[in-house]
Amino acid sequence: MNGGEWGIYIVLYFWLAAMGGGAFLVSLLGKNSSTQRLGAWMAFLGVVVGALLLIVDLGQPLRFWHLLASFKPISVMWLGSAVLALDGLALFLLLLLKEWPRWLVWTAAILTLLVVGYTGVLLMATAKPFWAASPLMPWLFLASAYTTGAALLALFGEGRAHQIALWMGLIEGILLLLHLIWTYPAAARAVRALLTGELAWAFWGFVLFGLLVPLFLEARRQSPVLAAVLVLLGGLLLRYFIVYAGQIGYVI
Amino acid sequence: MPRAEDYAILFDTSYCTGCRACQVGCKQWNDLPATETQNRGSYDSLELSAHTWLKMSFFEGLDKEGEVYWDFVRTSCMHCTEAACVEACPTGAMNYREGGVVTVDQDWCIGCRNCVQACPYDAVHYDEEKGVVQKCTLCYDRISNGLEPACVKACPTGALRFGRYGELRAAAEKRVQALKADGFTDANVYGLKEMGGTHVIYVLLRHPSTYDLPLNPKTQKEKVAVGWLSAGIAAATLGGLSWIIARREELSGGES
Repeated sequence: MNGGEWGIYIVLYFWLAAMGGGAFLVSLLGKNSSTQRLGAWMAFLGVVVGALLLIVDLGQPLRFWHLLASFKPISVMWLGSAVLALDGLALFLLLLLKEWPRWLVWTAAILTLLVVGYTGVLLMATAKPFWAASPLMPWLFLASAYTTGAALLALFGEGRAHQIALWMGLIEGILLLLHLIWTYPAAARAVRALLTGELAWAFWGFVLFGLLVPLFLEARRQSPVLAAVLVLLGGLLLRYFIVYAGQIGYVI
Repeated sequence: MPRAEDYAILFDTSYCTGCRACQVGCKQWNDLPATETQNRGSYDSLELSAHTWLKMSFFEGLDKEGEVYWDFVRTSCMHCTEAACVEACPTGAMNYREGGVVTVDQDWCIGCRNCVQACPYDAVHYDEEKGVVQKCTLCYDRISNGLEPACVKACPTGALRFGRYGELRAAAEKRVQALKADGFTDANVYGLKEMGGTHVIYVLLRHPSTYDLPLNPKTQKEKVAVGWLSAGIAAATLGGLSWIIARREELSGGES
């Protein structure tokens, strides 16, 4: 084993930050202030736990402050750590305040959008064909953020979020299919690993239980709790197989 | 583009015998431990890693006339002028040094491995024990003291040469002309336009794809620009869609 691949901490971070951030973005679509506060809490927890996971994943965790001592916007890794820190701050302020100033809500919303979106750009800016050969990584991660975020809100009794989870789940499935077709010429090994190889369990597990079953349940408005839980676990599987498929051929 | 007075290495496939003295010389000078090799049915028995900064890759096949060829190509850091690792590095630990050399500051590297993912030549690797990344330094400790890099010093056939970029590039182009005159019509210089021009340039007998070398690798700037553009369009599209879905739901009275 070569070591050093992006592993389970990164998978968990991608999943949690997108889920919490997505919940906040979905909560802002409605006018219910208690739902919005709940969304802000979820995003805040996602950002804080996510940042801790990222620090633990570093080879030199105690040097994490080197990120803050630098200024390198061309590096998606640097920009990501900056928006993560700023978003944490903005969400923390929101949680402290009783009345939310409009500008702060907008700032937090844009920063949250950047947090859930930069991860796709990060993967696109690599030399790994499965991540970089199509421009769809940010699309897929954003769609999944909305899907899992809406499912998380739905789990906390926000019934209207089901519609978002349903539609975004549908879009997510189409984007995934497009991505596989698009990257196949450049990343055949990764795509085959997903369809029939070592990652097939995660890929088909996602397609079946993270996508098709919840879509079916949501469309028929049955077992909303089960549907939401499946969507959340599906989001984890999606991050898992994307992160590992991109690095196939790297670990020997 | 590298400057004429920059440091450079010229690797010439047509002189290489695949003896791997460069590989051993690299390990010895840089104090790198031995690596367990694996018989995969060819002499190509290991991969680059945190402990192997240079390896010779072996390529065999049939050429256009049906003749067997067996070519040896250097695999290591190319010391790019627009290096993906440098631009991907969030802390500036991976950086350009004097003369166009790319090295990592081991006291400043945080071990995030973004450079490992970004390098189109797979030349940067993570050292689990040290918690930082490692790569070829072009023997910066040697060349800044007037010596050749260890790989060049060890090469017995002149397949590796060290010098100033301007001179070596001219030598490479001259050599390709001679090879073409000798019947190697596909001979070419690799590294002149890749990643802003690389400080390690290759004279190749065949098309670069024969040797698994990346063709027209994109620089980090291009990739990041396309990435943010795509993310921006995605955010507007999906954000807009979610807003429309929420409004429709509101109009229909919702259902909770």
